[in-house]
Amino acid sequence: MTEHTDQYIPPFRNAVHEREWLAQEAAMRQANQQSDLPGADARDASYRVIARRLREEPAERLPADFAEQLARQVVAGPARTAAPRLPGESILTAVLLGVLAVATGVVVALYGSTWLPSFTLVLPHPRAPAAVLLLAFAGCLGASWLLARWPSHGRRFGG
Amino acid sequence: MDDIRNSNDRELVDAVLANRPGAFERLVREYQGLCWHIIQRMVRNPEDARELCQDTFLRVHQCLHQYRHESALKSWIGRIAWTIALRHLQRKRIPLLDLADEDGAFALENIGDGFDLELSYAEEEGRRHLNQAIEQLSPIQRTLLTLYHLEEVPIPEIARITGLANGTIKSHLFRARLRLRGALQARTGVAA
Repeated sequence: MTEHTDQYIPPFRNAVHEREWLAQEAAMRQANQQSDLPGADARDASYRVIARRLREEPAERLPADFAEQLARQVVAGPARTAAPRLPGESILTAVLLGVLAVATGVVVALYGSTWLPSFTLVLPHPRAPAAVLLLAFAGCLGASWLLARWPSHGRRFGG
Repeated sequence: MDDIRNSNDRELVDAVLANRPGAFERLVREYQGLCWHIIQRMVRNPEDARELCQDTFLRVHQCLHQYRHESALKSWIGRIAWTIALRHLQRKRIPLLDLADEDGAFALENIGDGFDLELSYAEEEGRRHLNQAIEQLSPIQRTLLTLYHLEEVPIPEIARITGLANGTIKSHLFRARLRLRGALQARTGVAA
């Protein structure tokens, strides 16, 4: 959709439609000012009825304490975005992590002797210049990550 | 009048950004009616509408630092509410406009003049019939009518909220009101 911010409201090309539009507008003004012109024709009367109905508040409303609740929620932080955890969820996560750790240990014990040596050959020697550079690079990345987190943490909690 | 409103907006925005106690609650109170009218008329389901209203103000809180006072705060917040409601309808694959809206199904020539609608509306049944006709309008037409009649937002400001052209809004308002007039008359079989 394109943004239109000009004040110009074009008239209808069809003169009959434009007259009807003007009748609708006059009825709306009368409904807004709660003034009925005596002797208006059926068309004007019908548009006044419609305009009066359109000015009525919807039957459904927001709760009376909507603003208060929302303000409390915003002050409390991002509780709404974090999905509430089910009672057994954390226990299940811990159990699964334990199973994963045990399974990893078993796999390494059974098959590690065949593929671990090939990894140690690929890894750079701790004193090699490339390893020092890699460590420095990792340090920079870690520092940037920490710095990036700092303001967003403060903002999220309204600081 | 606009100057007073702009200065109030500025003061309110500054207070919310400075986390002054009660400022955000004041902002919500000020604009919850507008958001509710936009979203409720678009979505209709009250629970969804309440949820989306909440989402709108959380988004407002999150993005308020991006507000540049180029338009009234009312338009800026209204635009967020409109976009959130629009996305909700698109996600649920609910049509935003009826084919009848495009075709101008309620032609002016089909509506008669000799009928006392004010008398008809005074009856409970006439009232209910008009409500039904409003509910049968497309989400966009219902919302435009609500913004224009209930919120008394002028067409250029509705254009800022919805991103629609002034002429398009005028056309929607015209056809929707014509359709309501036709629906009222059709109830009694008076249409010519």
